[in-house]
Amino acid sequence: MPMLDIKNLTLEMQSSEGAIKALDKVNLSVSSGEIRALVGESGSGKSLIVSAICGALPNQWNLTADRMSWNGENLLSMSVQQRREVMRREIAVVFQDPQASLDPSATLGEQLEESIPDEFVQGSWFWQRAQQRKKIAISTVHKVGIKHHKHYLSAFPHQIPADIGQKFMIAMALVSQPKLLIADDPTRGMEPTTKTQILKLFTRLNQTRSLSILFVSHDLLAIASMSHSMTVLYAGQTVESGKMKHIKKRPLHPYTKALLDSAPSFRKDLPPKSLLPTLSGSIPTLQHLPIGCRLGPRCPRAQRACVQTPAVRKIHDHSYSCHYPLHMEKL
Amino acid sequence: MPQFSLYDEEFHPSPWQRTWASFKASHISMLGLIMLALFVVCAVFAPLITPYDAVEQNIDGLLIPPSWVTNGSISHLFGTDALGRDLFTRIIYGCRITLGSAFITVVLAMLVGVSLGTFAGMLRGVRSSIANHLLDALMAIPTLLIAIIIVAILGTGLVNSMWAITLALIPQFVHHTRSFVRAEMKKEYIVASKLDGASKWQLFVHSILPNMTEMLVVQSTLALSIAVIDISALGFLNLGAQSPLPELGVILADGLDVAYLAPWNVAVPGMAIFFMVLSINIVGDGLRSALRKRVSH
Amino acid sequence: MIQILIRYCTLFVLTLLVLAIISFSLAYLFPGDTLENLTGLVPENDIQRAALERQFKLDQSYIFQFFYYVGNLLTGDWGYSFTSGLPLREEVGIAMPATIELATYAMLMALFVGVPLGYYAGIRCYSTSDHLINSVSITTYSFPVFWFALLLILIFSLQLDAAPISGRISLLYDIEPVTGFILIDILLSDIENKSLAFKDALSHIALPTISIGAIATASMIRITRRSVIDVKHRPYIAAALSRGLSSWQIFFRHILRNALLPILPLMAIQITTLITNAMIVETLFSWPGIGNWLIQAIYQRDYPALRIGMMAVSFVVITLTILIDLFNRMIDPSREKYERATV
Repeated sequence: MPMLDIKNLTLEMQSSEGAIKALDKVNLSVSSGEIRALVGESGSGKSLIVSAICGALPNQWNLTADRMSWNGENLLSMSVQQRREVMRREIAVVFQDPQASLDPSATLGEQLEESIPDEFVQGSWFWQRAQQRKKIAISTVHKVGIKHHKHYLSAFPHQIPADIGQKFMIAMALVSQPKLLIADDPTRGMEPTTKTQILKLFTRLNQTRSLSILFVSHDLLAIASMSHSMTVLYAGQTVESGKMKHIKKRPLHPYTKALLDSAPSFRKDLPPKSLLPTLSGSIPTLQHLPIGCRLGPRCPRAQRACVQTPAVRKIHDHSYSCHYPLHMEKL
Repeated sequence: MPQFSLYDEEFHPSPWQRTWASFKASHISMLGLIMLALFVVCAVFAPLITPYDAVEQNIDGLLIPPSWVTNGSISHLFGTDALGRDLFTRIIYGCRITLGSAFITVVLAMLVGVSLGTFAGMLRGVRSSIANHLLDALMAIPTLLIAIIIVAILGTGLVNSMWAITLALIPQFVHHTRSFVRAEMKKEYIVASKLDGASKWQLFVHSILPNMTEMLVVQSTLALSIAVIDISALGFLNLGAQSPLPELGVILADGLDVAYLAPWNVAVPGMAIFFMVLSINIVGDGLRSALRKRVSH
Repeated sequence: MIQILIRYCTLFVLTLLVLAIISFSLAYLFPGDTLENLTGLVPENDIQRAALERQFKLDQSYIFQFFYYVGNLLTGDWGYSFTSGLPLREEVGIAMPATIELATYAMLMALFVGVPLGYYAGIRCYSTSDHLINSVSITTYSFPVFWFALLLILIFSLQLDAAPISGRISLLYDIEPVTGFILIDILLSDIENKSLAFKDALSHIALPTISIGAIATASMIRITRRSVIDVKHRPYIAAALSRGLSSWQIFFRHILRNALLPILPLMAIQITTLITNAMIVETLFSWPGIGNWLIQAIYQRDYPALRIGMMAVSFVVITLTILIDLFNRMIDPSREKYERATV
């Protein structure tokens, strides 16, 4: 029973040129205790999915979905209050730029203590509660690996370095003890050492607390090392989704194959000084989306039938949507 | 499904066109623009529109009520004042003098302020920060005080009040230009131009100035509304334009003596100033919203 | 910390010095004979002229005269006014608190009415109530202050007879001027029927305060609204919403603090406009403040009064500006040096 279950999510906007479908029948599901990676180039709509789950979409978007449920409850039919409760206690989001997500006029400690839900803090007098809040804050900050808590908790956001900032954002997400952590490209622009630290932290949290993580990124190396399952997104359509080891061994969709091919460490058999294989062309803009399968113009295996959007087919929970998938002739 | 356009050129509007398009979309801003255009037309074509002379006194026709009251006549649209001068003519000429002198004041203040500000912004050093703090502190001196001092030294008159208001508006332009130029000098495209070999003058004219026009337009509308109010205030206090010059503040002061008998002498010039400033403020607000929308999309 | 204080003190002294130089040189810029301008006496022959020059130190060098002038200012010998013959120190001492009182009440009105309204309009931006507040504030802001005061006089004093036209208090009451602020003085003095005197003073001060305060409030509403809208669209507010913080917490901790901080530097310009408007309105209401006094002085070409008046008003304004700047620097943790909010 998956925790987060999204089926056929479509996001439309009316613009001067007509209706634009930024997301077209997207399927995504996260089960408990697993790390799911959501992979796609910039412009494929990853951040829109995160905003849609949070309920923070700007007003001009129209959202329709066959199913968008959390633990069995439909997110779309909940009231604002219930939605906010779910966001507060059960889902937590870590955004891209830690500096921008922090209030510049309050210290880190204040912001952390503010996010602690009231249910964890007991005490009849308010100073007891304040003390407990401080204790919880310090312990959470230690858990993410920030050692000098005294110095950092009383600092302002513009005084801390970026890696401490991102760890602090993860700490803020953890105080409410969520069941799902959505990480929207948290390691963007970081040096490799810091990146490894953050990724190790995620893996540790997943193993010790069985925290499910939805890791949105386009960094294949990071994803391949730590995630259990992967969903590949191209220009607003899900092209392939399944367990990580299956996809690595046998990618069924041409786009997934091109992605995996373009990362040199996945290929042990590259001769020296050879060109890295890529798909020609670039991702289409919102105003000029192709009809049918959106990879059509770039795909090397495209044929006439690709002007119709392919249906989703499934083999042992490895699902794909392609008219001419790879490896299918052997079956 | 997007519209099927096979061979059409894509229409990519330039930044100014986009600003104008989003300015046009707001009805209130367009209304303000039409009002302002009306005032400008009155100001420019004053001698052609007005039926009478602005200072010609008519002893027979003192304090004739305006045309919408039963006693009034259509030949004097807004009535006459205590010396028999036609109020409609005086108001139209007043728009010309007030708006025109405010405009000249703002243009002058902008030229001086922008040059001083750029000069201060493109230089560096501790002295410039001291100069900036000093200028900020001196910026706080009230307009009326500067006007009083200048009137004491040079005497009354419209031109002297214009000098006073120019002096009062310059610090604002200097401050905004200076901070803008300082911020721009840190950006990479300036470094790129410098590496290409641009001199300081070329940097200013080709790189910084085009980006500065938007900020200048916004500041000018603010300064224009302040200038109109201040020029009419000085005319009202008899420190600026003197009677019988038909400046709007002077007309208001003249009408004060007969305010109880003939309230239109006080109401109509006041309304004229009010609508002038209101239209400038609405246009300024609309322009600022349009610029903001363009930047945020 | 100490460094900042020293820096601002130096700035203060430097600015005052520049002002003193300007006001000193005014004596030489005013048209007419310098001796006559400074003393008001017309010397009949050369011997008298030489004697007067020695007395007023006009025969010495400029530097010496400047130091003499500054020394006089600091000790309190500000000279005498032409028109009334009273020492200028007394006249300014009576007139200045009257204007400050008016400006203070108008500023309080702007702060306590304008900031909450602007905040409310900003939170509910682009809704009906926001459009209403915005249009009312832009209309009020466009009124010329003297016309607004005139309309108030015509409606309330002449038609409805609800408020008196001129002066600070009815002549029946004789209040001992302790602080110069009439409302406080009434409470401090020991006459009978204090409440009647208080009500009378209130009715006198109502119309001038409303006419200046309305425009200041409109300005404050616009600035606050713009600042709140800017803060509302920042990413950290969206991040706080995604953490599920309640509206109360977001509005009153994050938005309020971040919205109010950039508008502090603008308060200095507000004070300038406020004092200019106060000076204009004082002439209409015959309010015995420094604006009225200065304008009478310029009508009668009372040069010593003009010099000292200009020095006094500039001194007050610059002190307030520097204090606000200092306050801003101390409480704002992340201030970039020359960033200011916009309207």
